[in-house]
Amino acid sequence: MQYIIVGLGGQGILFTSRVLGYIAVSRGERVMGSEVHGMAQRGGSVISHFKVGDYSSPLVLTGAADLLLSFDQNEGIRNLHFLRKAGHAILNVHAPEAMENPHLKSFLAERQIKAFCLPGYDILREKMEGRFLFMNALILGAMCGAGAGNLSIDEVSDAVEKLAPAKFRADNLKAVNLGYGHFAGK
Amino acid sequence: MGNKVILLGNEAIARGIVEAGCDVAVAYPGTPSSEILPAVAKYADELGTRTAVEWAVNEKVAFEVAATASFTGKRTCAIMKQVGLNVAADPLMSVAHFDLAGGFLIVSADDPGPHSSQTEQDSRYFAMFAKVPCFDPASAQEAKDMVFDAFDLSEKYHMPVMLRPAVRVDHCRQDVETGTVRDLARKADFKKDIRRWVCLPAHVKINHPQLNAKLDSVREDFETAFGRYNLEIPAKGKARIGIIASGVSFSIVMDLLKEWKREDVAILKIGTPHPLPVKMVEEFMARHDNLLVLEETYPVIEMQLPNRTKLKGRWNGFVPRAGELLPEVIRDLILNALGEPVPEEGVPELKAAIEEMKVTPKPPMLCPGCPHRASFFAMRKALPTGIYPSDIGCYTLGVNQRDVDTTIDMGASLTSASGFYLAYKTDGKDQPVVATIGDSTFFHMGILGLANAVYNRHAFVLAILDNSITAMTGGQSNPNVGEKLRQGDEGRRIEIEPVVRGCGVSFVKVVEPYDTADSAEVFKEAWEHAKANREPAVVILRHPCMLLRQKQARVKVRVNPDKCIGCKYCTNFFNCPGLPFDEGAKKARIDERFCVQCGVCIQVCPHGAIEAVEGEEA
Repeated sequence: MQYIIVGLGGQGILFTSRVLGYIAVSRGERVMGSEVHGMAQRGGSVISHFKVGDYSSPLVLTGAADLLLSFDQNEGIRNLHFLRKAGHAILNVHAPEAMENPHLKSFLAERQIKAFCLPGYDILREKMEGRFLFMNALILGAMCGAGAGNLSIDEVSDAVEKLAPAKFRADNLKAVNLGYGHFAGK
Repeated sequence: MGNKVILLGNEAIARGIVEAGCDVAVAYPGTPSSEILPAVAKYADELGTRTAVEWAVNEKVAFEVAATASFTGKRTCAIMKQVGLNVAADPLMSVAHFDLAGGFLIVSADDPGPHSSQTEQDSRYFAMFAKVPCFDPASAQEAKDMVFDAFDLSEKYHMPVMLRPAVRVDHCRQDVETGTVRDLARKADFKKDIRRWVCLPAHVKINHPQLNAKLDSVREDFETAFGRYNLEIPAKGKARIGIIASGVSFSIVMDLLKEWKREDVAILKIGTPHPLPVKMVEEFMARHDNLLVLEETYPVIEMQLPNRTKLKGRWNGFVPRAGELLPEVIRDLILNALGEPVPEEGVPELKAAIEEMKVTPKPPMLCPGCPHRASFFAMRKALPTGIYPSDIGCYTLGVNQRDVDTTIDMGASLTSASGFYLAYKTDGKDQPVVATIGDSTFFHMGILGLANAVYNRHAFVLAILDNSITAMTGGQSNPNVGEKLRQGDEGRRIEIEPVVRGCGVSFVKVVEPYDTADSAEVFKEAWEHAKANREPAVVILRHPCMLLRQKQARVKVRVNPDKCIGCKYCTNFFNCPGLPFDEGAKKARIDERFCVQCGVCIQVCPHGAIEAVEGEEA
């Protein structure tokens, strides 16, 4: 299983790969990932590679990722080429009309990519007083709700509970459930 | 038996340093090495070792402190990034000649790409230059294992040994085996010996041939005794290509072959690129006609071969001579070497979509609310015809609002200001120059440039952007903060003002950068003082870094569309992620996703269009 996680510096992308890693290791699987630290984190484009299974290198080859988790619409679109045929994308989208671009739609269709778009900012604004730092938990929940990534909501909730700092634990779990509810059963 | 845990590559290295019984670890932060030292402190606390763990003021200091501690027979290490090793090059070249007592490890983290550096230089070249052995790990686990071997090798031959992790090892996260601390119970025991510890020319005449002999012995060891790092993975049947690979390039090749299910490729992995086990490589080369060499970032393996003409490498331009060897690059290199078709990047539709939607990579920017943005704004407002040399830190991102005209390396804001001063002075012109430097960089290398400018009477303004942290690398302490890493370990804070005054500066004023009108007045005053007295004038702009998340007044703002004339003054000269320009409406707007309600932008708009939302101050 190969993940690409993208967004902007400061959105909490590293926490997401820590959650994925925690789950994989508790399943007895090997993990490997590549993170971005330093200047690249200052609000600029950030990409995290994450691989579960018997790999040697932390980097995902373009066209080989199973799942793209995107915290930012533009970063998500820029990195869709990482997805393999029939891969899945979970995208936080702030301008849904842009997703109707005919070239984009034909690329997704051609590669049989399933793109799950959610209005992350709207959800967090309405349900969590606009605290956008919970985008990572929201995306993780959405991933489970969309049935992508082969991870159960219980596993993700459990990992988030273990890894989140105590004072943000309840809020993180709430965000996981909001993300899950956005797609689950729909 | 060890226990497997997921670690960052840098944490794995730190774990190795503590487990190997290292007594003194000193570093200066720099991406991609910054996470190593805090992890050394964490493991030392957890495992109860006595390890001294310190941030030094710069890499030369770190190197000399750690190297000298090893003269007493203890294991020590100095940790830095690749350009940090440039700063420490002087002691590196000397100490390489010493007959050391305890093990001395140099960790120099490279940044092919580069991702967060001013160069993508190869520390292995420095190992070659200084004649010290170098390990080049391909994974976090291997990096940890190599720490033990590096210490052992250093003690076997009494010479410094380098571990060169590249960024993909430093910042990879993988399962790593942890172990227990090797308790060496060493006591500091410095044995005075002038021949050994004083680098006089007469001693170099003895030590240099001795160093050469040591290196020959290390090479012999690398040929025969390091099979866990230098190994061949043979093809099944006849190999169509032989690949010599080191570092993370090796790991990428392994994944590609697995993905392709190919078995007609032979690989020679080199984990000790200097001194190169030449016989091993030549023997591999003799058995293959088609040979490709993959290493980052300079041709270190290639250069050490007596005959490299058979290789597809950098010497003949087959392998790119700049940039990171990403999986796509390596894939294409292997396929090209095999004479097989390279897959088309079959995403024309996606490319067209990205072009139409004008989706571009977002460069790093100063954070919303960052005090540096306000400082830069005031500086430009006060001295719009100024030249603005800057330095290494978050504030280099002031390029985005064109408030940074030059950056060379750590500390060069001051020396560049001196250079500009002299160049214009010889024409008889008073050219305003404002140098910007952060607090950590000031202590790293700024003080010397300041002393030089005072001594030589250079007129310019020095703006010390004091956010009370080493911010760019993730918030490390420095002398201006005074904290230390290990539990119960106390440092002492050094204030900037007395240091500046002690260098002979008479104009020193501290301002709150959020008050841009006041700062601008002080900038003007500082320049007039500098010009009149032919000396540097110092303005300290003090406001804590936003990443420290200290409580501050919040001012909710809005852009009044009736007053905004769409002049883009705010986006050009303030350039805050929370204040973008709406191309549709042709007006600025507040982007609440990023705005942190610092309220500084109210002072920015020349038309008064940015307003506080009444009654919403928190």
